[in-house]
Amino acid sequence: MITAMIKKELIQLRRDPRMIGLIVVMPLVLLILFGVALKLEPQNVKLAYFDGDHSFFTNLIKTGLWSDGYFELYEVDNKQQIIEEIRSGRSKAGLYIDKDFSALLTENNQPHITFYVDGTMPSLTTAIKYHSDSATSEGVTGDMYFSDADAENVVIAQAPFIMDTEVLFNPNEKETWFFLPGIIGILIMQIALILTGISVVREREKRTLEQLLVTPISKASFVIGKLIPYIIIALLDFYIILGAGWAIFELPQPSSHALLFLLSLVYVAVMISLGLVISLIAKTQQQAMFIAIFIIVPSILLSGFVFPLEAIPDTVRPISYAIPFTYFVEIIRGLLIKQTRFIDLVPYFSALTGFVIVFVTTSIIKFRRTL
Amino acid sequence: MHILRKLKFENTLMIKAVNLTKRFNGHVAVDAVSLNVGKGEIFGLLGPNAAGKTTIIRMMCGVINSDEGEVRIDNMSVDKAKVNFGYVAQYFGQYEELSVWENLKFYARMYNVTDEVRLYSLLNHYDLAQFKHQLSGALSGGYQRRLALVCALAHNPKVLFLDEPTAGIDPVTRKILWDDFYRLSAEGKTLFITTHYMEEAQRCHQLAFLSSGKIVAKGSPDSIKHALGDARVYAASIPYIPELRRSLLNMEGIILVNQFGNELRIVVTSAIAKSNLARKINSVTSIAYSLEITEPNLEDVFIALTQEQPVKP
Repeated sequence: MITAMIKKELIQLRRDPRMIGLIVVMPLVLLILFGVALKLEPQNVKLAYFDGDHSFFTNLIKTGLWSDGYFELYEVDNKQQIIEEIRSGRSKAGLYIDKDFSALLTENNQPHITFYVDGTMPSLTTAIKYHSDSATSEGVTGDMYFSDADAENVVIAQAPFIMDTEVLFNPNEKETWFFLPGIIGILIMQIALILTGISVVREREKRTLEQLLVTPISKASFVIGKLIPYIIIALLDFYIILGAGWAIFELPQPSSHALLFLLSLVYVAVMISLGLVISLIAKTQQQAMFIAIFIIVPSILLSGFVFPLEAIPDTVRPISYAIPFTYFVEIIRGLLIKQTRFIDLVPYFSALTGFVIVFVTTSIIKFRRTL
Repeated sequence: MHILRKLKFENTLMIKAVNLTKRFNGHVAVDAVSLNVGKGEIFGLLGPNAAGKTTIIRMMCGVINSDEGEVRIDNMSVDKAKVNFGYVAQYFGQYEELSVWENLKFYARMYNVTDEVRLYSLLNHYDLAQFKHQLSGALSGGYQRRLALVCALAHNPKVLFLDEPTAGIDPVTRKILWDDFYRLSAEGKTLFITTHYMEEAQRCHQLAFLSSGKIVAKGSPDSIKHALGDARVYAASIPYIPELRRSLLNMEGIILVNQFGNELRIVVTSAIAKSNLARKINSVTSIAYSLEITEPNLEDVFIALTQEQPVKP
C-alpha cells in the first residue's frame, strides 16, 4: 500500500514538468545567486565629504579612506549637506574636515575631524566604523608630525589629529528599529503574494473560471475587481502589523503619516498586482505557491534588508534594484528612522509606482478571455 | 410541433457554426464542424466521450478559441453576443463559498441585471428558493445543476448552451429539467445541448451525431434514423450467446451487434440477406428464435455511426 502511494505521488510530480523545474532549478538558481551575492563586507560605500582645508594633509586622509575600495568619496558644499546626503540615502557615511585643519595640525594642536555613519542598519554601521580606521592609519599619519628644531621640547600627542565618529539617525544602533520596518514589508509581501497568487488558479482549478469567462466581463473589470479587495485587506493588515510594532516595540513615529500611508498603498498595490501576475502564470495552486516563495526569498536577502546593498557585488546589484522590496526598505527606514524628506524619497516612490504599472499591465495582457 | 415552431419563429438562424476546427497538440479534436440552429429549437449534439462535444460547445461560447472557422450567435460574433447567451458547463462552476442567492446575484450583475424580484421568481421556479441562503457547495448534485441553470438564465438570454445538462441526474429531475427545456424553447429560446443519452437525444428537435470530431449525421430524430442508408436492422429473439456474437462480428457486412436483454439487434449492410444471417445463426446455436427486419432506432444508428470498429468480444 505504501509503495503504491509513493509511486502515485512520484508519477503525479513527474507529470507536472513546471513543478519539476521549480523544485530543481529554483534551489540551484538561488544557491548560485546567494553564493555570489551575499557578503557582509560592504564595498564602494558612498561617502559625502566636506573638506574646508583642501591641503596635502586632508588629501592624505581622503586617500586613506578611498584606497582600500571600501569608500567612494564625493564632495559636498557644507556640513549640513553631509547629513542631508545620508538622510536621503544617497550616502551611508560622511567626513567633515574644518578649514583650519592644516593650521592646527602644523601647530601640533590635534585638530578634530568628524566621521558620520548612518545608524539605520547596525551591521553596516559597524562595518563602516571599522573601515573608517583607514583614515587614521600610519600610512596617513606618518607625515603629520612636526618638530621645530628651535622650539623647546614639547610633548607631541600620539595621534596628530582626532577623528570623532558620530552615528546618525539611530544613535543607539537599535536592532529592532532596523529590522522591524522591513519585517512589516516581508509580512505584507507574504500575505499579498499568496493571497492573490492563488486567486485565479483557484478559479481555474475549481472550474469557476470557465463559467465566469462566458459572461461579458471585461479584462480590466476582472483584473481590477480581483485587485481591489485584496489591496484593502493587505492595507488593513499593514496597519495592524505597524500598530503592533508601535505598541510592542516602540517603533518611532514616521516623519509624515501621509507619506507612510502613500507607501503602504503603493507597496500593497505592487505586491497584490505581482500576486495576480503569478496567479495568471501558474497552472496550479501549488505552482503559484512555489513562484511566490521564489520571489519572497531573494527579496529578503537581496533587498538590503538584512545584508547591506553595499555588500552586494555590482554584477548582482541590478537584481536588487529589480526587487520592489528594496525600495520599500529604503522608504520605510527613511520615514521612520531618518526623517527623510519627500523629495529624496521620490525616486523610490516612482520605482514602486512603476512596478504597479508594469504588473497591472502584465495582468491585463496575460489574462485571456479563454481557458 | 416542428411545423408549428417553424411558423411561430420563422426559423431565424440563431447559431451558425462554419467549419469549426480545433487541434490539440497536432491531434484534430474538432474537424470542420458546421451547424445551423434555428430560433426556438432544441438542438442536440450527440457523441460518445471524447468525440469533441465539449470542445465544440466551448468554442461556440468563446471559452476557447477555434483554430479555424467561425461562430455567429444571433448574427453577431461570439464576443458581441455574450449578453445574448447563457452557458452551463459540464461541471459545477458556481462559487461553492457563496450562497445560492449570492451566486445568482453575482452572475446577474455580470450582465447588469439587478431586478431582484425577477431573480427571486427564477429561484422559485427552479425550486431553489428554499435553499436561498444555503452555500451552493452544500447543495446536492441535482440542485447544483438547477442553480447553474438559473445563473445562466439570470439575464434572460436568447440562446442557452448546456453541456451534458443531465449527466448523473436522476430520472425524475431529468424529466423536470426537460419539461423546462421545452418551456424555454416555447418562449423562443434556442437550446444547444450536448448529450450521450439516447433518451435525451430523442427529445431534441434537431440532432447531430459527432464521431471523432466530425459530424456523421444531422437531422430530426426521425429522419436521422435513416442515416444508415441502405443498411438494415434485424431483431432476433436470442439471449446472450458469446460464440454467436463473436462469429457474427467476424462475418463480412456486419455493422453492429447489440444485445438488449433477450433481444439481439443486428445491423448489416444490404449485401447480407436475411437467409444468410439465419444460416449463420443456425450454425452456432440450435435454439429456436424469430428473426425479423425492423426499424432502426436512434441507438442503432448512433452506435453504428460513431463506433470506430465493431467491438470484438
